[in-house]
Amino acid sequence: MFEEASEVLENMLKWSFPLSLVLFLVLVCPLRAEAAHEFSVYRMQQYDLQGQTYGSRNAILNTEARTVDAEVLSRRCVMVRLADFSYEKYQKALRQSAGAVVIILPQNMSTMPQDIVQQFMELEPELLATETIVPVYFALEDEELLSIYTQTQISSSSQGSSSAAEVLLHTATANGFQMVTSGAQSKAVSDWAITSLEGRLTGAGGEDLPTIVLVAHYDSFGVAPWLSYGADSNGSGVAVLLELARLFSRLYSYKRTHAGYNLLFFLSGGGKFNYQGTKRWLEDNLDHTDSSLLQDNVAFVLCLDTLGNSDNLHLHVSKPPKEGSPQHALLRELETVAAHQHPDLKFSMVHKKINLADDTLAWEHERFGIRRLPAFTLSHLESHRSPARHSIMDMRSVSSLEGLSRNTKVIAEALARVIYNLTEKVIAVLRSHQQVQEDQLASLVDWLTAQPRAAQLLDKDSSIVNTLEYYLSRYLKDVKRHLVRADKRDPEFVFYDQLKQTMNAYRVKPAIFDLLLAVCIASYLGVLYLAVQNFGLLYGFLRRVTAPRVKQH
Amino acid sequence: MTLFHFGNCFSLAYFPYFITYKCSGLSEYNAFWRCVQAGATYLFVQLCKMLFLATFFPTWEGGAGVYDFVGEFMKATVDLADLLGLHLVMSRNAGKGEYKIMVAAMGWATAELIMSRCIPLWVGARGIEFDWKYIQMSFDSNISLVHYIAMAAVVWMFTRYDLPKSFRLPVTILLGLCVYKGFLME
Repeated sequence: MFEEASEVLENMLKWSFPLSLVLFLVLVCPLRAEAAHEFSVYRMQQYDLQGQTYGSRNAILNTEARTVDAEVLSRRCVMVRLADFSYEKYQKALRQSAGAVVIILPQNMSTMPQDIVQQFMELEPELLATETIVPVYFALEDEELLSIYTQTQISSSSQGSSSAAEVLLHTATANGFQMVTSGAQSKAVSDWAITSLEGRLTGAGGEDLPTIVLVAHYDSFGVAPWLSYGADSNGSGVAVLLELARLFSRLYSYKRTHAGYNLLFFLSGGGKFNYQGTKRWLEDNLDHTDSSLLQDNVAFVLCLDTLGNSDNLHLHVSKPPKEGSPQHALLRELETVAAHQHPDLKFSMVHKKINLADDTLAWEHERFGIRRLPAFTLSHLESHRSPARHSIMDMRSVSSLEGLSRNTKVIAEALARVIYNLTEKVIAVLRSHQQVQEDQLASLVDWLTAQPRAAQLLDKDSSIVNTLEYYLSRYLKDVKRHLVRADKRDPEFVFYDQLKQTMNAYRVKPAIFDLLLAVCIASYLGVLYLAVQNFGLLYGFLRRVTAPRVKQH
Repeated sequence: MTLFHFGNCFSLAYFPYFITYKCSGLSEYNAFWRCVQAGATYLFVQLCKMLFLATFFPTWEGGAGVYDFVGEFMKATVDLADLLGLHLVMSRNAGKGEYKIMVAAMGWATAELIMSRCIPLWVGARGIEFDWKYIQMSFDSNISLVHYIAMAAVVWMFTRYDLPKSFRLPVTILLGLCVYKGFLME
């Protein structure tokens, strides 16, 4: 009988002990079981322009993560937050031949203080100028990425430290991260077609009318193509051009207001890559076709570039306009309209000669200037080197619309005055017909900044190009596409792919951990073996312990 | 994490079985083939359970937070089949006295180890991502070994006709606990 009892008790003991062990293990284990975190990363620009290579060359990644203050950075993926980013740290990472650099940008850029944004904008061209084989990625921050970053930071900064026991404990509890990207090595995209769109409004009254050309380039540029939304540069220019197209097509549809100028609208692609679209269009129209509006009487070419939110407006010219020419008339009208009707707007002319020795041309009008067409560019920026033209920080929340609509009104009125060349009475009539619609502008800018518009991402079938073509064809006639492909033997531009990849962050343990675990398991097994071998002892012990209690019954 | 980690987890899971087999003297009784038969019975019982569950218990579409007590209770009751299976093994296997228990339990637990733990370990522990759950899984298999031994012993005791009445109750309770363990833990 006692045997039965002790058997029962023995079984109970056997059963509850493992259960409590499981509970202990569950309670002690401090880490949540996190699966690998997957997030999109956007690679830095990589392109060749006229033989010069720019940007980061490489794309594949399979390295451990570290933050930038760790000591050893070679062959590691360096993670930096935008707030801590500086050019010296970047140089340090490159010097130590880091495996990759990942810059973490906040989801909402408006939470960043303005000076950090400004500093980054100024750094962007320098990042691109140093050609590097290290892949540089940008990622948008979310909670998991932030926790990965803080964990990496803790383990990176404690690396040079302390005693062996701490190091041992550290290896057991720390978490390393392995960053792996999917996707192949980057290679040149062959046969990429840059699309440009043109449309026209024919003037009233026969042949040989003078032509006014309005140009804006629709692509955007930034240090990472998938993050360049280009709200101001050149989303604002495109919006103004489309709005002008709408206004003048309305005016031209009435006989009374149908003027004697042809209007040619041109949305050029590849603008940020030294105005490739415009260059080829000019070549095709002037050299290869027999008759084109561009060959005959061109009054002037007005390029629109970055017309967003400031109170300045500059007319950039490469040669000051002569008295009595249509360009001079436009200049004068712009000054008049700005001075009389919008006194808060400061208008001025900036004269810069075309410098053919430079790598890239400054403004779009210089392309036309080289072909001896009178041209100028309107912009609120004073210098073509301004970082706002090439930044990923140029996003919708930044550009406000009162300035844009005011600028549109000024341009529309000045153009109307030049085209119609008439008195105040008719101008009043015109004002009743032309109203710059602000919500139209707003929705255009919203649509343009909703997706990145880098030239590498817009091929001839992209939705942006199709929508622009559709929009133009509502108001203009003869809407045509114009394709530019790089020359095979001596390409002016080469784009590379693998610009957006998915990166996985896997939690890994250092190698020592495995050895530690092996040692622990071996000792556990040894103990188990001894326990099983000497089970008889344990059994006897238990019987002696339980027997007196039973005897007292 | 790597093959080494897989090796660690596998040894943590499998070696206790090996040790138990060697040291409990089963190898002296040439009980290996009987263990395999017990394992085959395990497979058969699991198959029957799955068919039964699939046929008679359609998927419950209640609210996500509501725990379906009745449904889960019924499902746990099906685990009684486990006990019946153990009983079957022990009554058919002509092993000696107490060794019946050990044989049945070893075979049963080994079959469970192979069926339910080998593949997750192979796929998971060899990947890049490290997770504590693989070590937990291996350890869990140790615990289930002991659990099955205990369960087999209790089943055996239940079927003994010469068991005094006073011990019937705790034995029954223990049996019940074994079956509804999963249910109670929820």
